[in-house]
Amino acid sequence: MITIIKYTFKEMLKKRAFLLASLLSLLYLSIYAFGLSRIFERPSDSIYDIIFQSEILSAGLFFANLIVAFLVVLTSVNAISGEIESGTIYSILSKPIKRYELVLGKFIGLSIMIVLYSSIMFLSVVGLNIWFGSKISFGWDNILKGLFFFDLGPIVFLALIIASSSIFSTINTGIIAIMAYGIALVGGVLEQIGTAIQQSQVSAFGLKSGESLINAGIITSLILPTDVIYRKMTAELLTQSSGISFMMTQGLFGGMSQPSIYMFIYIFFYVVFLLYYGVKRFSQRDL
Amino acid sequence: MVLETQNLTKQFNGKGGFKEVTLFVEKGKVFGFLGPNGAGKTTFVKTMVGFLHPTSGFAWILGKPIGTVESREKVGFLPENFRYHDWMTGKELLSFHAELYKIKNPGKKIDELLELVKLKGHENKLIKNYSKGMQQRIGIAIALLNDPEIVFLDEPTSALDPVGRIEVREIIKQLKSQCKTVFLNSHLLSEVEMVCDEVAIINHGRVIAQGKLDDLLKEHTHVEMVITDYTPELIEKISRLSKEFQFKENKLSFKVEDREKIPIIAKMVIEAGAKLYQLNTQTSSLEDLFINLIGKDEIS
Repeated sequence: MITIIKYTFKEMLKKRAFLLASLLSLLYLSIYAFGLSRIFERPSDSIYDIIFQSEILSAGLFFANLIVAFLVVLTSVNAISGEIESGTIYSILSKPIKRYELVLGKFIGLSIMIVLYSSIMFLSVVGLNIWFGSKISFGWDNILKGLFFFDLGPIVFLALIIASSSIFSTINTGIIAIMAYGIALVGGVLEQIGTAIQQSQVSAFGLKSGESLINAGIITSLILPTDVIYRKMTAELLTQSSGISFMMTQGLFGGMSQPSIYMFIYIFFYVVFLLYYGVKRFSQRDL
Repeated sequence: MVLETQNLTKQFNGKGGFKEVTLFVEKGKVFGFLGPNGAGKTTFVKTMVGFLHPTSGFAWILGKPIGTVESREKVGFLPENFRYHDWMTGKELLSFHAELYKIKNPGKKIDELLELVKLKGHENKLIKNYSKGMQQRIGIAIALLNDPEIVFLDEPTSALDPVGRIEVREIIKQLKSQCKTVFLNSHLLSEVEMVCDEVAIINHGRVIAQGKLDDLLKEHTHVEMVITDYTPELIEKISRLSKEFQFKENKLSFKVEDREKIPIIAKMVIEAGAKLYQLNTQTSSLEDLFINLIGKDEIS
């Protein structure tokens, strides 16, 4: 399996998609840095400025998260199906290796690359905010926890793509990945709106419509829990003991509605199940 | 026995593939697996190497059930539609496959194989810059990396020029001299005839003939005789010993399943007091045999 991990990693580095995503990321970070330099030009001391700065940070991380998801799709959608479609699988699986070694080797190899990439994106966005003088005080534990959840989302997404790529064709995997990510994203926004409605409305009608939106968000989180992980990341990064944390996690890119511990137990089993099911179906497949 | 199958069947929703194939391939033999396009040859090889799960029956490679990791440990395989990771160089590709075989320090072996398949000097080029023939050559090198006991070659010369074909034939002969077993899947009958000891012919998924190549060809020896002063009894006796018997104006034309029958028939002619003016024998080529068997199978 180590050979598969090693060569998967090597292959990713040689892929044009990776180079393209890296260049786009660099472009994104440059634009973001330029924006920050303008925003932080004026003095900012009020509580509203700090909330505004937290929104800027959240927006930066949100789009960085989108770019990482884009890279995950580009580099892994054909991880297994591509090997079958091109015929390269015949030279690999005629060797004395088990099929699960190929699936898990690909998953681990891609995970290492994605975690590295995702961490660079996260630390760059946070680092740029600190560099330009953000008034949000970050503790190392907040940054590390935030980094953990920022990296976890793409790994969960990767598990779905690898499982799908082990069962379906590249084109179908691409459709599944994009649809699932889109649903999770929209569901997450609906849940945020639902929470906002519940917090602001006192009437029974307002509470009911808010609850419906939250439920819709929970259901989409079960399909693909990337958005819920992203919100947890925002909360971990921006929750400080300064007493203003609740305000920092507001807004479209924030995390008003926080996932419960049960959701994280679900996420653990979600990844394990997807990999197990992908391996099982791939092992039973005629190639 | 290096390869053994018992009533092995692989079908796709009850269609295609192959049915109830029972084969035995001994160590050190070059075994030719022949058949027209779509007969089930590649499906059979893919099943043996573990890509397809058999519908029913049993098969073993070197005593290990097919589909297991152990059955592939001493197996080399060149797929029909060979494709390799084109972002690697030739040397990187061979190193990758050597690692998959868990070969330690494969450098010397890689150099030997590059020499053998005439790719020395091209090892640092990317696979995507290799011609189709060069890719097939590197595929042969990959199939031989682990010093296999049995090598499955699925149409190994499909992309090669005449010189390349001769070279592959030499590699097969070399493997045979090293007591390795070669399972050659091919529809190039002349090629099979030149290197194979044994063959099996498959049509519509069923093996319609198998055995030693010499025996199969001997079974179809064509004889022509010109005789005079014969009796009707003599003609009757000869017709009983042969197949496809024809008799016209002193000229007899027939086929015998065993060449040993030819001197027996000649003796019968002399002892019956007839005069034998001419006796010509012609052993069928593999192509004749193939066309004959496939033709008969189609009719039946």
